[in-house]
Amino acid sequence: MKLSDLEGKAAEILERYEYPKAAMLPLLWLVQENQGYVAPDAEVWVAGILGVSRSKVREAVSFYNMFHTEPVGRRELRVCTSLPCMLRGAGDVLAQIEKKLNIRPGETTPGGEVTLTEVECLCACEMAPMAQLDERFVGPLEGETVAAIVKDALTEPKSPESTPEPTPYIATDGPVLSLHFEDPDGTWMDGYVADGGYDAARKALTLMTPKQVTDEVLSANLRGLGGAGFPTGRKWSFIPADTDKPKYLVVNADEGEPGTFKDRYLMERDPHSLLEGMIIAAFAIDCHKAYVYIRGEYFRSAHRLQRAIDEAHESGWLGKDIQGTGFDLDVVIHRGAGAYICGEETALLTSLEGGKGFPRLKPPFPAISGLFSCPTIVNNVETLCAVPFILRHGVDRFKEMGTESQGGTRLFCVSGHVVTPGVYEAPVSITLRELIERAGGIRDGNKLKAVIPGGISAKILTADEIDVAMDFDSLRAVGTMAGSGGVIVMDDTTCMVEALESAAKFFADESCGQCSPCREGTGWVLRIMHRVRKGRGKIQDLEDLLAIAGDMEGKTICVFADAAAWPVQSYIVKFRSEFEEYIRTERLRESKEAAAHA
Amino acid sequence: MPSLSRVTIDGREITVSEGTTVIQAAEQLGIFIPRYCYHPGLSIAGNCRICLVDVEKSPKLEISCNLAVREGMVVHTKSDKAEDGRKTVLEFLLANHPLDCPVCDQSGECDLQNYYMNFGLYDSKFREQKVKKKKAVELGPHVMLDQERCILCSRCVRFTDEITETGEFGIFNRGDRAELGIYPGEVLDNPYSANVVDICPVGALTEKDFRFAARVWYLSSTPTVCNGCSQGCNVDLHFVLDRPHLNDGARLVRIKPRYNADVNQWWLCDEGRYGFGWLDKARITKVQGPAANGDATWEQALSAIATNLAELGKGRIGVIASAQLTNEELFLIREILQNSLGARVSSNVSEEPGSADDFLIKGDKNPNTRGATLLGLADPEAPDAEEIMDEAASGKLGALWVFGHDLVELFGEERVRELAEKVDLFVFSGTNDNKTVPFAHWVLPTAAYMEKDGTFVNCHGRVQRIGRAFAPLEDAREDWRLLLDLAGRLGQPLAFRGPQEIFGALAKASNHFEGLSYETIGSQGADISVEAPEMMDP
Repeated sequence: MKLSDLEGKAAEILERYEYPKAAMLPLLWLVQENQGYVAPDAEVWVAGILGVSRSKVREAVSFYNMFHTEPVGRRELRVCTSLPCMLRGAGDVLAQIEKKLNIRPGETTPGGEVTLTEVECLCACEMAPMAQLDERFVGPLEGETVAAIVKDALTEPKSPESTPEPTPYIATDGPVLSLHFEDPDGTWMDGYVADGGYDAARKALTLMTPKQVTDEVLSANLRGLGGAGFPTGRKWSFIPADTDKPKYLVVNADEGEPGTFKDRYLMERDPHSLLEGMIIAAFAIDCHKAYVYIRGEYFRSAHRLQRAIDEAHESGWLGKDIQGTGFDLDVVIHRGAGAYICGEETALLTSLEGGKGFPRLKPPFPAISGLFSCPTIVNNVETLCAVPFILRHGVDRFKEMGTESQGGTRLFCVSGHVVTPGVYEAPVSITLRELIERAGGIRDGNKLKAVIPGGISAKILTADEIDVAMDFDSLRAVGTMAGSGGVIVMDDTTCMVEALESAAKFFADESCGQCSPCREGTGWVLRIMHRVRKGRGKIQDLEDLLAIAGDMEGKTICVFADAAAWPVQSYIVKFRSEFEEYIRTERLRESKEAAAHA
Repeated sequence: MPSLSRVTIDGREITVSEGTTVIQAAEQLGIFIPRYCYHPGLSIAGNCRICLVDVEKSPKLEISCNLAVREGMVVHTKSDKAEDGRKTVLEFLLANHPLDCPVCDQSGECDLQNYYMNFGLYDSKFREQKVKKKKAVELGPHVMLDQERCILCSRCVRFTDEITETGEFGIFNRGDRAELGIYPGEVLDNPYSANVVDICPVGALTEKDFRFAARVWYLSSTPTVCNGCSQGCNVDLHFVLDRPHLNDGARLVRIKPRYNADVNQWWLCDEGRYGFGWLDKARITKVQGPAANGDATWEQALSAIATNLAELGKGRIGVIASAQLTNEELFLIREILQNSLGARVSSNVSEEPGSADDFLIKGDKNPNTRGATLLGLADPEAPDAEEIMDEAASGKLGALWVFGHDLVELFGEERVRELAEKVDLFVFSGTNDNKTVPFAHWVLPTAAYMEKDGTFVNCHGRVQRIGRAFAPLEDAREDWRLLLDLAGRLGQPLAFRGPQEIFGALAKASNHFEGLSYETIGSQGADISVEAPEMMDP
């Protein structure tokens, strides 16, 4: 399609946003969806519509890795090689796919059928090792499935695919979050309402004041489930009472932490629970416009949530005068385009406003000055999905499921070397040992070696450190974190040096590059790890890595640098002898090889 | 009553107004906190992290550029924690920085070098391959980019976004692949493009004109004011006199803006910055007289001119002065030629205004029109230069002295030829050769504005000093010096030893300049603009 043909759609898109520049990502998606890639004249076109310089458009195109600047194949096969997938053989899978397609990552098959891309975590670790063919997630890629996905990759887009729909274990019996996970095709308005859905929203809008709602959520000890664990009610209370600026609710659906996949299931299987939580939250903070920032790779989540939004409008649960209560709320889905850092709440806001995903200096905090410099609350998907339960069943019901300081349950994501990777709902007081046992224990009769309890940023725990409750404060007390609830399990076949290299690659790829310690530190760590893996490491490198990691902490605009430092520190400290042994052995091997080639 | 806060920095207390940041408060105390991305003329970016300070009661180091002072805050910039933090940030910035010092123009005025010497001095532990990016990229007519040297402080991006609002720069990609650039195919050619070189703390953005010209430690500096237009932007002249093998022997190597809050802040337009090629090229270097071979001495010239002027008598001399001349020189012209000799004097040469903008560039390309006006040698008190031309051509005036203007360019060769034949005395005094020079009876080589002291008044009514960096080229002399010499020969000597004393007399004689002296004007000028509105220039 020609750019001029897209002008109508572009105008529609601009309507959704308070400021034109915020339409940056959706306009770039519009271009890429219609022309296959973003050409320079398209950048110029977008710049003209948004009223920004071309350099600003080029910044966005170059920052988000889902945008192509050159023509690509008919289809795209994105193979994940982050840690959870690497633990389940993604390295071999990629090698097999490269061989079968006879291209390297970044290249397109000669006939233009498919472009192969190596990507960081797609947050589908429950089906590791996995890949994404256009919009669809496929995994585990074992045995025949590898050949099948390659075959499908070469067919026309939208042809029927021969790979099976993944069927990982997904909890279904609640009591809070997974009640509607049974049907993989999702629970829709009728089913949701029949089960008591929207009762909590009705209660809030008709029987409660905003302050009462906030107080209940605060008393229930609901903590932010994106990773930081900040008390949700307290965050809502930071919205200033005396402001005439509009307030915004922004849902952080940029799930990106390796090992985490819960928000995807909530959006794909129970999107109304998110909308209901959003209505209650918006009511509590006097907000009438909400955005849901969904990571670009989550196509199905975006489709399904949009369907739920349309249903909600039809049933009078969104839009003007909701259910006759006089409360208005509009919800706009805003898709990301491939940048983990947009999960950081201020980077998310900068991205939503049309820029690169650059975290912001704090203060000011978003509750005071957030989206478009207005008071804004950013909440994780899972956090909001827990809210209706609190209002329906009461503060105490929610509280007692947890610990002193954290109420309720979590959707724990268990991946790696367990028998049954998947989503497990459990009270936050469950221990790590119990959780691993629930997931079937270690595969193939192997022994547990190490566990990451809360997404790749979390410091690692050894096999004898797993008798710890999975709530925020307990895990913090033992020197790690509950984070996103992504539990990555490693058995004794795992090489910790390879694991650290994989983690280092993730952080180097995803650093936004804004501030110096992170930008330079993440790249530096990765290059040392590559050198160590090639057999040219020294024991001194371990000291240097620890020094670099320590230097990265506490000096940056956001905590990405600290998160990048923690795996370096914890793996080397807890597995020091393995690292030293590896260095010595590989040096020996490498020097033998060098001598043989001389 | 504005709110005030007391803060203690390195044991010293200061009270500052609300909103002052720690880095600014420290500066008020004379404590320098290193900075790359912070620039007082641009928005806060907070990305370089080198301004980290140790704040009591704060668990982490905080960046001082974005930290507003709170009552009772106690800050340490030199504690072990602060110095260690600074050192590690420096190490990260230098990790991928190329070892270009030996070939980099920034050497000697580079903030990575300077801060390393002051705050670093650690042994590098970086043993990897450095990230490779593009080097020696021409961005536009004046600016070169080296992406490897860039520390991504984003000052240049903020400059083109916020000051020129032209938005050329962007930082593309992410992580350590991030690189500074402009949109492919575009050119960095806004009228202020070279300012990004000034604000670049390292050698990433450098001037094409200065590339490999001279090492900065060979440069001397003199403050002055640009003569390119009536804005009067404050500048520093960087020059080298004792190394003629550098810069093709040209004395002036480069012009840099000098900070003045009321005139140009930190900025300078490209035209002003680069408009000095005429200083050492096509200069008039020798006195020329009517003798066959042309060459003459100052003694001969001034003696002959004094005699001719004295013979002519009152009302028969025409002087076309110039708004390029200093106040001191215009004052002498008024006193010696107009008041004593009754000359018809004007600096009202109607010129097409040049290009202007709503920032610094003014259409009047003369630095001292306002000064000439205040001294009564321009509108509304003075005749038009063309009138004087006509009077000279008609014989009403027996002598014409033109200061610098190219009359051929303004009025056509015929009129100038006619005039040169008609008058008894036609003197041209100026800096550079032009089409009028061959017609003059006496040609006097004069000093460029960089070669003399004096004052200009800019279009906003600010009187500012200009500074002499080096002596006039070859036989050239300052206009004020030759006028004083002339006065002596006319039997009306004036006991001034230089521009400072001339200004003293000017200030006594003119109530616009009342009470001023070189001391009170200082380096930032003095506002004398309590004028009636009709005095304002376009």
